[in-house]
Amino acid sequence: MPPLPVITGLGFITSIGHDRAAVGRSLRELAHGFERVEFFGNPNLPVKVAGTIKGFDFPTPNWRDWRWPERFTVDRELLRGLAPHGVYALCALQQALTEAGLEPAELSDGTTGLFCASAGSPFMLGSFLGQMHETRGERGNPMGLVSSIAGTLNFSLAAHYRITGAVCGFVSACASSSHALGYAMDEIRLGRQQRMLVVGAEDMTAESIMAFSSLRALSNNPDPATASRPFDRRRDGFVGTGGAVAVIVEDAALARRRGAHILAELVGWGQAGDGHSVTASHPEGAGLREAMRRTLADARLNASDIGYVNAHATSTVAGDRSESLALHAIFTRQGAKPRVSSTKALTGHGLSMAGVMEAAFCALAIDEGFIPGAAHLEEPDPVCAGLDLPRVSLAEAPGIVLNNSSGFGGSNVCHLLRRPA
Amino acid sequence: MQTTAISPLSLAPVSPAKCSDSFRHLPDHARTAFEQFQAGGDPAALGPVMFAILTDFSPRRSAVPLGDLPGDTQLIADLGFDSLAITEVVFTAEDLFGISITNDEIVQVRTLDDLLGFIQVKVSDRRVA
Repeated sequence: MPPLPVITGLGFITSIGHDRAAVGRSLRELAHGFERVEFFGNPNLPVKVAGTIKGFDFPTPNWRDWRWPERFTVDRELLRGLAPHGVYALCALQQALTEAGLEPAELSDGTTGLFCASAGSPFMLGSFLGQMHETRGERGNPMGLVSSIAGTLNFSLAAHYRITGAVCGFVSACASSSHALGYAMDEIRLGRQQRMLVVGAEDMTAESIMAFSSLRALSNNPDPATASRPFDRRRDGFVGTGGAVAVIVEDAALARRRGAHILAELVGWGQAGDGHSVTASHPEGAGLREAMRRTLADARLNASDIGYVNAHATSTVAGDRSESLALHAIFTRQGAKPRVSSTKALTGHGLSMAGVMEAAFCALAIDEGFIPGAAHLEEPDPVCAGLDLPRVSLAEAPGIVLNNSSGFGGSNVCHLLRRPA
Repeated sequence: MQTTAISPLSLAPVSPAKCSDSFRHLPDHARTAFEQFQAGGDPAALGPVMFAILTDFSPRRSAVPLGDLPGDTQLIADLGFDSLAITEVVFTAEDLFGISITNDEIVQVRTLDDLLGFIQVKVSDRRVA
């Protein structure tokens, strides 16, 4: 039997909850994680809503000012070199390891690897470079570089957990952690590693989120209850969020030997580029369509085998439309009608971490037997006609699940998950 | 050799306050000691300030106050400091006391006594100069 990657642990620091129970409850009850915010202390900004990470506070770039819920342990030694999303990641990974029944000491023998995704920390980088400018290069926080640049997540976590297997960071914007999970599956399938820790994380700061306002990609809707409404005719942009999600991926044989509970099997993944635009998705979803086709082929499955699609849909006008067209091409035209929803209606768009966050939601849905509904959807865009977008969460097993992600430059990545045999 | 200006070359001294963000977190007794040092140059005030800085950057919480440990306690081997943490301590000392420490000098510092003695010499040199 070739190695089969399976999920044995999940960890969440998200706008909709900081543990599996809270996240599952939010997904079932369609309880969103949005609050009114004022970025940069500027009441004139049109962006009024974000997916906030409750109980964590990063008021300055100085780690001495940072706060997190008491139930999580963050070593002082590690804290000096972390960005805010590194703190989230540490808390998420602790949960995932606990659920998987793993001790940190078990991660150092070379059979465990670590793949991460974050965009780095514009918050920390801005502070670090500001200090260098201010002192005309005479000073720089010695930890300024490692706490801020892209890669901060993988090198901080790899050093802390003494990982001697494969360590890598992935940078494909909003498809980053989907790439991390896909390539982690390959590490298992190719027999290179027996276990992979996959972590996606992002700061929840003005610097990370408001950058997308410059692209006119954010919702200006001030109502937390409706600002993120993927597939709705009145959607006007995405709502930003941060946090961290960690997923433990293991070879099924190892997981069974350990007696670990398997939440879901990862049975396929695939990717395809749009070859179209640096920011805009292909108008007909050509790359995403091809990524879905390749993913189904990887798992030797047909469109009609899929029970639920966790869509990438971020609530932007163009992006949701192109994904709808891609879904029609793969499913509707083949007479297949899986349930479809975008959980970004509840969480907001987690940027680099979105893909692994939503893969974790899929694993949770498979393990607990429910399908997250399409929250905040009142007037479906006519382009969605024919898609099965349930308005409430359904207490039914989702069957085989497809998880979609897309990033800048038209990077499209999909995964397939199913209940363990 | 020709020098290419990457940034302005005519440097005025950097303000000591620029990088002392960590100082506001030090305990009251250390802040008071620092004010004494600033007011009268009292070298005895250096110790409480340096121990407070070391405690602030210490990777581990020591059961015994650092000021009560033997002077030959090693920063790396005994207290768990890494080279970057020592660099942070040194940068803070540079900013607070207006001294300049080279990389070669940093690597000579191994124990608590090394560090305190070294800072005292540097501060004395600065005052003589």
